[in-house]
Amino acid sequence: MESGSRRPLLSAPRGFRDILPTEARELRVIEQALTETFAASGYMPLEPPMVEYSAAQPTQERLIQFLDTDRSLVALRPDLTTAVARLVAQRYRETAGALRLSYFAPVFREEPAMTAGEREVVQAGVELIGASGPIADAEVLALLVESLERCGLRLDGATIQVGHVGIVRRLFAPLAEEPRSAVLSALRAGDLVGALRRAHEAGMPSEDVTRARAALGVIGRGIEQLDGDDVRELRQVVHLARERWPSSVKLWGSPNIGLVPALPYYTAIVFEALHPDVGVIASGGRYDLLIGAYGAPRPATGFAIDVLRLHRALFAEGWRPADARPLVTLHSGGDERATMRCAASLRAAGLSVAIGDVAETAGIALIAAEVVDERRVKLGDGRTIDAATLARELAR
Amino acid sequence: MRFALAQGLLLNDALAALRAIALDVSRVTPGGRRLVVDGGGNVEFVLARPSDIATYVERGAADLGIVGKDVLMESAARVLELVDLHFGACRFVVAAPRGALERSLDEYRHLGSLEVATKYPRVAEAHFRARGLEVEIVKVAGSAEVAPQVGLADWIVDLVATGGTLRANDLAIVEEIAACSARLIANPASYHYRRAEIAPLVEKLADWASRSRSGANQ
Repeated sequence: MESGSRRPLLSAPRGFRDILPTEARELRVIEQALTETFAASGYMPLEPPMVEYSAAQPTQERLIQFLDTDRSLVALRPDLTTAVARLVAQRYRETAGALRLSYFAPVFREEPAMTAGEREVVQAGVELIGASGPIADAEVLALLVESLERCGLRLDGATIQVGHVGIVRRLFAPLAEEPRSAVLSALRAGDLVGALRRAHEAGMPSEDVTRARAALGVIGRGIEQLDGDDVRELRQVVHLARERWPSSVKLWGSPNIGLVPALPYYTAIVFEALHPDVGVIASGGRYDLLIGAYGAPRPATGFAIDVLRLHRALFAEGWRPADARPLVTLHSGGDERATMRCAASLRAAGLSVAIGDVAETAGIALIAAEVVDERRVKLGDGRTIDAATLARELAR
Repeated sequence: MRFALAQGLLLNDALAALRAIALDVSRVTPGGRRLVVDGGGNVEFVLARPSDIATYVERGAADLGIVGKDVLMESAARVLELVDLHFGACRFVVAAPRGALERSLDEYRHLGSLEVATKYPRVAEAHFRARGLEVEIVKVAGSAEVAPQVGLADWIVDLVATGGTLRANDLAIVEEIAACSARLIANPASYHYRRAEIAPLVEKLADWASRSRSGANQ
């Protein structure tokens, strides 16, 4: 191989990167907080496969695809909600009642080159399948807030925003199905100008276009000017979810009619967690029609947290994980048998021990110790101390 | 709140619009060397190349921006397009040497593909893919209009305002891809998170845009 072409092989492919111990240790802390929070609300972990059939994805955009050996087109999973929907339709066909499922896993999306776009994103989330009504939406919304809070994120009024795709759809009810879906896909892409122009060109009366434009700008208490069952549903879900913290002075859930997530499968309540420095940290909502695409229809709602962005937001707020217990680096005095036994007795006393040097500490404090005999070590300050005493000292 | 403005053709119109909604743009000097300037209140303006505006806003380095729809189409940045400001009107078109349309379609039947030179490969590719035409995109950094004359490509995709450049190079429009004009854009998270600050500006600019448009039509 030419030496010039060898260098690129040393780095990860575009959009993928190595996660080194300092970062990985912090991500583990986040993972643990999230998985414990999910479990405490009855959500069971599952692990869908890394690869799914391309044709089974609700949108073909941004898939990282390749041909399988049987010539079927497959994609690295772009999204876990879709994978869970497919899995539930197949594996829980005969199971009635509510399924509470959770995951913590990477997903893969194509990003344009040279935009610092990441192609691998870690998602943590839950899906509540088979349950409908405001109580189910409120449960999932409250669980998102609780998950972020347990990780240490500071939340305030603007952090969690709640919308309703049904309200948006109703604003464009005068349109036929085809132009209306064009309007909605423009809104999903963030193109308000194009959406309203398409509505106007498809013959929607200009007072309706003006009304839709105004309604899409409604946030917070402004929702009290609107009516309709879907508006009442949105307000009820926010109120119910806030009941999780009945005495809290913080009002973290704010209605936002213009919130239209990029993913196409949402049908009713939708919500996003936003951070001023990082952008969208988590998103979710109700997707009652997605599972029906793979089998019998079932109501469903859920959310996914972008774990790397959550980490970035926590870092921006000055969060650091609690210190891990220090690591004893044990140096042999020449007797290797005694070194092995000494390490074993230190570990038995509850200490973390590495034999020899440790070049990558991931920010963990090191305690250098030299082996004296099977039970005792000599520390840097010259003291000779036994395993149990050292463990007691470091526990303080 | 940071407001990104595209240097170049759109800047004077953008400044006029911002002045009309009572923002203080007095410290912004077109062609000046200071690129980040105070706009009074809590507004700060940043001047950048048009193609960078979309990047600034997409990545949250600026909350709002004014940039041409042409730039947004080519960059495919994920930003919110809030208001059509109507100035800076231009069109993406497909153009071919005058009188050569039949010849190139014949060539397409025999050779199965056409060469298209453009500064806007993403727009060109999306257009021909939607039309179901096989083309080979030849990316050039400038002056696509000379490509057919020198045999670099059969057709071009270019941005035209008046069509004078096309006529001067003996090119005729084959079809229009899209009409473009300046847009007020926002970072999606900023727009939702800082709505209380952003919404009044959006409203005023929308009013200004519809008034200036009906004024221009009279």
